[in-house]
Amino acid sequence: MHAISEQIFKPISRAAYLFHRRWIKGITIGKILLYVFMIGLVFFTAAPIIFVTSTAFKPLDELFLYPPRFFVMKPTLKNFSDLLIATDSSLVPFTRYLFNSVFTTVAVVFFSVVVCSMGAFIISKYKLPGMGFIFAVVISTLMFPPQVTSIPTYFVVSNLAILNTYWALILPKLAVPYNLFLVKQFMDQIPDQTLEAARVDGANEWTMFWKIVMPFVKPAWMTVVIFSFIATWNDFASPLIYTTSETMKTLPLAMLGVSNGTVGRMGAAAAGAFVTVAPSIILFILMQRQVMDTMSHSGIKS
Amino acid sequence: MKIGLEKRKVISGYVFILPWMLGFLAFLVYPLVMSFYMGFRKMTSVSGMEMEYIGWENFSRAVLKDIYFIPLFYDAIRNAFVEIPLILVFSFFMAMLLNHEVFGRAFFRGAFFLPVVIGSGFVMEQLLGQGVGALQTVAADPSVVNTGVTNGLQIPDVIARYLSPEMYGNLTDILGRLTIMFWKTGIQILLFLAGLQGISESLYESAKCDGATPWEMFWKITFPLMTPVLLLNAIFTLVDSFTDIRNQVILYIKQVAFTNIEMGYASALGWIYFVFVFILVVLIFAFTRKRVVYTGM
Repeated sequence: MHAISEQIFKPISRAAYLFHRRWIKGITIGKILLYVFMIGLVFFTAAPIIFVTSTAFKPLDELFLYPPRFFVMKPTLKNFSDLLIATDSSLVPFTRYLFNSVFTTVAVVFFSVVVCSMGAFIISKYKLPGMGFIFAVVISTLMFPPQVTSIPTYFVVSNLAILNTYWALILPKLAVPYNLFLVKQFMDQIPDQTLEAARVDGANEWTMFWKIVMPFVKPAWMTVVIFSFIATWNDFASPLIYTTSETMKTLPLAMLGVSNGTVGRMGAAAAGAFVTVAPSIILFILMQRQVMDTMSHSGIKS
Repeated sequence: MKIGLEKRKVISGYVFILPWMLGFLAFLVYPLVMSFYMGFRKMTSVSGMEMEYIGWENFSRAVLKDIYFIPLFYDAIRNAFVEIPLILVFSFFMAMLLNHEVFGRAFFRGAFFLPVVIGSGFVMEQLLGQGVGALQTVAADPSVVNTGVTNGLQIPDVIARYLSPEMYGNLTDILGRLTIMFWKTGIQILLFLAGLQGISESLYESAKCDGATPWEMFWKITFPLMTPVLLLNAIFTLVDSFTDIRNQVILYIKQVAFTNIEMGYASALGWIYFVFVFILVVLIFAFTRKRVVYTGM
């Protein structure tokens, strides 16, 4: 009995003491005001997400309430079953859209990380002829509005004869200048001596890249994972342009068809919006720390 | 056969960068060059990709004849110049707040960055009731959608009853703008935070010993040391604001290209736009070069 109380209460009381010492002791009016202010601001950033979530659970009569209410009063799961029914009656089952989205997103994220990191490794650590020029071109393309090039890109895709295939949704998104830039900024910090030492020990480029460089820049490519996940998962334009058949549609594109302007499907559309957003939020929560660290390191160096 | 170490290094280097270069050339550089080429041409047959050379006609048409482009362009510039200082001041302020030693700092930072995560895509468009607007197609009156969704937070009825309709309208407008503002400042706040953390604590301590007030410390230490980050942020915000999908000019270019199917003209518009943004960035660099304080940060 004594041992248990010793084990349980001692840590708790210690934690309470530390908490008190660190946070409670110095409380002033100014600090309280600061917290109230910041929590108020958090509501602003979180509002749209909460709105999407609560709308997904709203029954039909609440969806059309005027003035609209922010929170759901009688939550229901009917919207989700509606969503399944709505998409079931179309030519392609809902799971197919989901598969398309998941498959293209996973492929883009994986290959984009590998391809961009390999390119960044060379630009950062090998002083090959022409690399400075390539990097300058990369930086200036960051400024270009992508809409300008969307037309010729379409012709490239169409000339490669990959329209309406998964290739069309994957290939154009692999070589992203921004990802290369981000990873390169991190690779600049790897000391050259480490690589030299590995080379002396007989490591070739391939092992060096996977065993030394990639573990070193983990925060950077984790960020690339998140950003390319978000960009691909939410992408609306490229499936719209590059695919025409129903079987190739991805989730965001299919969601547009769900509501289709009919009142009865509004609930299903709200549920669809929720299904589309949820994965990005979950992924972000899981990898948040990594991203924050990267973002705060990379920006300054440039 | 024996290959020298240096040569092997060069060869493997090029092999490593090859996949990236192929993608970059095929899907970015080639389309860029191609759109420049198309800017001087008129599409005669869309399916056959047949074009004829018309010289500068597309460009002169954009500047002299098009009744939409210049006003939209002007609006976009004006919006950007109103928005960019606001975003910068606001995110600087937020970064200063978040830089305090506060309980749950990670939570607050996450909360302010979250909009960036979702804001880039489908949901943002839907929330703003543009483009994809599934909600908008249904509601007969678009203002219903806009008040409910874009503004996010509403004034509680209890308070609203005591306000005049005019004041109520203004207040909801401000709240709505604030919400959108938050959705645009995530990355800026992070960059400022990173910059603030790079300032050495000892500077403040020695200033305190010399009897400096917080106000003086801000203007004499924090602000000058933050100017490089400020410049970086200004450029980032500028580019972001001009390439935003909600930007009217971008929408117009898209319409010209895909609805009117005038690809040559759309390419010309795109290049005019790009060159303008590029010049703006160069100008900002040129003007601020003397004022930005660089230390070995």
